[in-house]
Amino acid sequence: MTTAAIKPSAGVPNWLSLGIVFGLVGAASILLWGPIGVSGTYPRLIGEIARVLDPAYAAENPYLVRMGSLFRGETFLVVGLLIGGFLGSRKDKTKAPKLENPHAGVETNGKRYTEAFFAGFLLLFGARLAGGCTSGLIISGMTQLSIAGFVFAAGVFATGIGTAKLMQAMRLGAN
Amino acid sequence: MTNLYALLTGIAMGFLIQRVRASSPAMILQNLRLENLVIIKFMATTIAVGMIATYTLNLFIPELMHFDIKPTYLVGVLLGGLIFGVGFGLGGYCPGTCVVGIGEGRRDAWAALAGGVVGALVFTLVYTSAIQPIVALLDFGKITVQSTLGLPAIVPALVIGALFLVVVKVLPTQIKKA
Repeated sequence: MTTAAIKPSAGVPNWLSLGIVFGLVGAASILLWGPIGVSGTYPRLIGEIARVLDPAYAAENPYLVRMGSLFRGETFLVVGLLIGGFLGSRKDKTKAPKLENPHAGVETNGKRYTEAFFAGFLLLFGARLAGGCTSGLIISGMTQLSIAGFVFAAGVFATGIGTAKLMQAMRLGAN
Repeated sequence: MTNLYALLTGIAMGFLIQRVRASSPAMILQNLRLENLVIIKFMATTIAVGMIATYTLNLFIPELMHFDIKPTYLVGVLLGGLIFGVGFGLGGYCPGTCVVGIGEGRRDAWAALAGGVVGALVFTLVYTSAIQPIVALLDFGKITVQSTLGLPAIVPALVIGALFLVVVKVLPTQIKKA
C-alpha cells in the first residue's frame, strides 16, 4: 500500500490518498471477484449455526436458504478486515482506546457497551432489510451507480446525523 | 482464487479504514455532528474514484467484470437505511468497521459485533412474517443510473464522479475544533 504518503503529523488522516487507494481497491475487487460487502456474512454465520443446531429450521427458512453457505469470498473479506485493522494499528504511535466515548458528556463503561450492542443490532437489522451496509450498498452500490446505493445513503445520513445531534443535545442537557 | 482475492481485498480495506480512523467511533460521531468531514470526504473520494475506474475498465474488458447490482425495492432500502443510520449515530460503528476495530484492540467493537449477530438472528426469525411483505413493495429490480437515463454507464460515472470530487475539494475538512 502507498503508506509513504500518509503523514499523521497534522493529526488529520490523509483522506484523499486513502480514498483514492480505496477507490482503486474497490474497482480491482469488481474486476477480480466481485464488489465488496460485509453485512451478508452475519446471517450466513447464523445459517451455519442453525444448520448444526436445527437443520430442519435452517432448510426451511427462506432467508437462510437464500444467503447460503459461509464458505465464500465475502467471509474471507471479513477475515481480511480483522487482519487489516491489526496491521494498520501497528503503525499508530498510540494504541487505539479499548473503549471510546463518541458522544458529549460523561459515559460509563457499562453504558458504552450497551449503546454499542444496541447500535450493532440496529445496524444489522437495517442493513439486511436494505440488502447491504456501508460497504455493499454505499461504497459498492454507488460505485456501480445502483439507485439502491443512493437511496440507502440518503436514509443513513438523515438519521445518522439526526441521532448524533440528538445524542449531543441530550447528553449536554443532562450534564 | 476468489477467496484469496477477497482476503487480500479485506486486508487492504481494513488497513485503509484503520488508517483514516473510520474504525474510531469518536471520529464517526465527529463526522455525523458535522464537526469534521474526514470520513465523509474519504467515502466520497472512494466512490468517485471507484465509479470512474470501474466503468473505465468496463469500456475495455467488459467480459471480465464481476458486477453485482443490488435491487432497488424502495420502501425496504430506505427504511433499512433509516434504521441503519440510528445505529450508526448511536454506536459510531458499521458492520465492517467494528471488525476492523476488533483487529486494533477495541473492546466496544465486540459489543457492536455481538449486537449485529443478534440483529441478524432476529431478522432471520421475522423474515417470512415481517420482512418479505416490505421488500415486495415498490420493487424496481436491479436499476442503475445508466439504465434509468438510458445512457452508456461511463457518462454518469464521469459526471457523478467529477461532481463528487468537486464537492470534496470545495467543502472544508475541519468545521469545528472538537
